[in-house]
Amino acid sequence: MREGGELPVLVKHPTTNQLVRYAGAAGDFYQIHYDQDFARSVGLPGVILHGLLKAAFLAQLVTDWGGDGARLKSFEVSYRGLDFPGREFTCRGRVRRVDGSYVELELWSEDPDGKRTTVGAAVLELGGEAWRPNA
Amino acid sequence: MQSAGLLERIQALVGTETSTVESLVEAGHVRRFVEAIEDPNPRWQQEAPPTFLVALAADLPQLPEVLEYGSAWLNAGDRFEYERPVRIGDRISSRTRLAEAFEKEGSTGRMLFLAFETEHRNQHGELVARVRGTRIRR
Repeated sequence: MREGGELPVLVKHPTTNQLVRYAGAAGDFYQIHYDQDFARSVGLPGVILHGLLKAAFLAQLVTDWGGDGARLKSFEVSYRGLDFPGREFTCRGRVRRVDGSYVELELWSEDPDGKRTTVGAAVLELGGEAWRPNA
Repeated sequence: MQSAGLLERIQALVGTETSTVESLVEAGHVRRFVEAIEDPNPRWQQEAPPTFLVALAADLPQLPEVLEYGSAWLNAGDRFEYERPVRIGDRISSRTRLAEAFEKEGSTGRMLFLAFETEHRNQHGELVARVRGTRIRR
């Protein structure tokens, strides 16, 4: 692990079915995530991914890489663009800084056009000498 | 067009809190959440994944004035600060407050930004996480 090193890419394939399952599991029933007519009525091109589902995808990128020996201390995301079901959602990250047992990561998502629709950061506390990232 | 003084009335609500919501972290709920996000990590058979806490505190403070502003919600961002892991079987008490309200000019006109802060404590009274969610009305 070195500063600037990239995390293994995680590609998600969200569907409208997944948005409904997420709405139920998270208790977020805002209609812009499952009702096309409602989404268009508020000026969207169609139903969009929940921001917090995108956050869950980026959190998976981090916990897959860190493994059980790393503790997530903080995690933040800003939603910069819309993402739609039926379009690949690619999660990427890189090591921004290493400070003792703490690692700061820069995170972002890309849509199929390469646009960064979500940006974020995370801080992990690593579990001692034996820790290795899942690369 | 927004009614005069609406922003001031909304800003006067900063500090409004929900009552404390207590939730048992149920294995079935965590499993459905994990299935929904499609994260197969076996770690989530004992522990809740990082964003699960939002499923326990979907209730925001009831603020009718906010609904007078614009016609739709958008999510601007979320920040999680973790103190302790959340395990299946934990009993989590969550309380949300409106922390900030401000207006910004966007490409489609004025937008209202609201920051909600939620504190989650476990059955021992220990802080497990603080979550700050920023939502937009437009």
